[in-house]
Amino acid sequence: MNSNQEPIITIKDLKMNFGKKEVLKGINLEVHEGQIIGYIGPNGAGKSTTVKIILGLIEGYTGEIKILGQDISNNNIEYKKKIGYVPEIAEIYDTLTAREYLTFIGELYGLEQGRVDNKAQRLMKIFGIEEVYDSRISSYSKGMKQKVLIISSLLHNPDILFWDEPLSGLDANSVMVVKEILSELASKGKTIFYSSHIMDVVEKISNRIILIKDGQIVADGSFQELKDNCMEGSLEEIFNQLTGFNDHKSIAQEFVAIVQEGE
Amino acid sequence: MKEFKTLMVLDKFKGLFRIVGVDYIVMRKILQVKLTMDGRRVPTAIGNSWKKNNEQEKKDSNSFIKSLWLYMILGAIMIPIVMHGENYIFQMSLIFAILMFMVMSTLISDFSYVLLDIRDRNIIFTKPVDSKTLNMAKAVHVFIYMLFLTTALAGPALITSIIKHGILFFLIFLLEIILMNLLIVVITALIYILILKFFDGEKLKDIINYVQIALSMVIALGYQLVGRIFNVIDINVIFVPKWWQYFIMPIWFGAPFEVILNRNYNTFFVVFSALAVIIPIISIAIYIKLTPVFERNLQKLNNNTSKGEKGSKKFINAISNIICSSKEEKAFFTFASNIVKNEREFKLKVYPSLGFSIIFPFIFIFNTLRSTGWSNIASSKMYFTIYLCAILIPTLIMMMKFSGKYKAAWIYKVLPIKETASIFKGTIKAFMIKLLIPLFIIQSIIFIKIFGFRIFDDLILVLLNMLLYVVLCFKFTKKALPFSESYEAAQQGEDVVTTFALMMLLGGLALIHFLCTFSSFGVYIYILAMICIDMVAWRKVFAI
Repeated sequence: MNSNQEPIITIKDLKMNFGKKEVLKGINLEVHEGQIIGYIGPNGAGKSTTVKIILGLIEGYTGEIKILGQDISNNNIEYKKKIGYVPEIAEIYDTLTAREYLTFIGELYGLEQGRVDNKAQRLMKIFGIEEVYDSRISSYSKGMKQKVLIISSLLHNPDILFWDEPLSGLDANSVMVVKEILSELASKGKTIFYSSHIMDVVEKISNRIILIKDGQIVADGSFQELKDNCMEGSLEEIFNQLTGFNDHKSIAQEFVAIVQEGE
Repeated sequence: MKEFKTLMVLDKFKGLFRIVGVDYIVMRKILQVKLTMDGRRVPTAIGNSWKKNNEQEKKDSNSFIKSLWLYMILGAIMIPIVMHGENYIFQMSLIFAILMFMVMSTLISDFSYVLLDIRDRNIIFTKPVDSKTLNMAKAVHVFIYMLFLTTALAGPALITSIIKHGILFFLIFLLEIILMNLLIVVITALIYILILKFFDGEKLKDIINYVQIALSMVIALGYQLVGRIFNVIDINVIFVPKWWQYFIMPIWFGAPFEVILNRNYNTFFVVFSALAVIIPIISIAIYIKLTPVFERNLQKLNNNTSKGEKGSKKFINAISNIICSSKEEKAFFTFASNIVKNEREFKLKVYPSLGFSIIFPFIFIFNTLRSTGWSNIASSKMYFTIYLCAILIPTLIMMMKFSGKYKAAWIYKVLPIKETASIFKGTIKAFMIKLLIPLFIIQSIIFIKIFGFRIFDDLILVLLNMLLYVVLCFKFTKKALPFSESYEAAQQGEDVVTTFALMMLLGGLALIHFLCTFSSFGVYIYILAMICIDMVAWRKVFAI
């Protein structure tokens, strides 16, 4: 890893309010080339908000964000050419076919139509969904849609990937493929920033884990470092410990007790 | 992807977009995708009556463009108004009132999705596309449709105007239509901003839903009105300008004709004319200023903060205890009443018919009113028109099986339901309590006001007959579990013969009732008979 180089992503004191609610309370972060970062945290901790701010979807933050050395605040769109994004909620123009959708996205990145079409089709083939390339996306299964989203984020060979829950809906085999793709991409110098709720996946593939809670970073480091700090065996346990959650057993017992109540 | 002629025309204005700093190539790509997607959806208001066969559905054909001729027929209403004399301020204000209403409600009901699509931001704005280009693409998208729509609506009137009033009139008319379109887009957007500022997305969707319903009704009634417009409106009114007219936009647009063509330099008319030009231009400026606010508020569309009211739940619960015989039936009663209350697509399909069944009984009375007086009507048997509100019943029964979320019908399969009869009974009872009975009660009260208390027994009999009619409608239409089929399947629907036969059946029930009124105890005997028949019918027919 070349951590002596200039960082790919720099976030300084990022704060964001929705109305009176403080969603992000000062995030500081430096990300370097080739890192695979697992961005984890409980629901509503501010994970997706961070990513959306970086992509320009949410305005009105305070603090500074630099992507590849450029400040993103002054209506700059050039940096988006270097980013590939898979959103958390699979929003997609689903009355289009995959061919139409993917060439459209490619063209928005400034690629030439014929080339995108060809590239997209080949990527679809590798994912084993080539036969639906000309069917409307609305007819796809959840996993197929997710594959289309993953392809759409890679068409322009971006340097940075923001993948929000990239594995949702994928079957076990596809998950393995995507995991391999991630490490392969990282080894080619791509920087990957992704979030997931599946802790053992995060544990295995990230070389840096950032845990965010209530809009603040509460842990940042490799899995080994986190393990040493927390004296816990698995990321799941670390997660529970750092988010102050340890009553899962009693909650489960209470739940089942209600289920079993007599009619 | 298809190449669109519209876009080729747009290419001619390439330079113009470049000047304002829009990336034309990207904007064109976005529009191409948008128009392709539009080709794959059905407009709401007119789509109801628009039957597509399956083969057609496969092809991309913009059904809005195809339905334009319907708007053209509606636009023909305005021909006689244009033709009629030279009382411009009145004629043209009326025309602009019609145009503004039609264009605005169509914009809200059919093209809100263009203004309100939040996917755009997530899908396109995360790519290297600047917000100016994206917003311009949206604006052009809406404007393309407005152009088609107003051309179809105002086309007949425009052509008539050249022939009747000459080229100057035509040019003023044309220019004003363009100004009007700009104004309408901006007003609509501003209304949305306002609603989203104070309410959440669900409320806005509800409001759009009601506009759609109103538009469907107005269009259907509009066809009836084409021939009669001059009976309803006396066009030779002398127009007296008043201060409050400053707030009536159609009058602004009527004034320039008066000023330029009739050389009427009344201060009022001059100010109206000035408003017609200045306000649209100012509003565009405001709109451009407010677009970022709009975009931000749009994010609220996904937030549903509002909570359901609890009050009506108690009522539904109490009613279900009285009229439902089993637990299952009660469950489906509650379930169906919630769906009736919440599902917008259902409302869109059913509420227009609901509106018609409110109006129809009175239309006949008012038609007679013109030839005879009130006292004649009050002593007549005109109250039989109340049977017309039962035309809602076939629609209800036929629509029962459809839902936008028809796939959720898997629950029927996995639940251990003993007999389907309770599903149907519960649902139909819910429909009646929620829709039919309130309608009937309101109508009965009005009818008693008109015809006096003497018709009370008859109204009871009407209600009993309607109860039987519900069962008969169920018996003779295709049966499927409630909310288990998609609305697209509704397009094939029930054949005309069935619908007609059901109407005849209703007529038959009304006829027997009518004949009974000639013997002194006829109605009472019929009531007793119907109570028995209803009880048996409700018990037997649903068990299939």
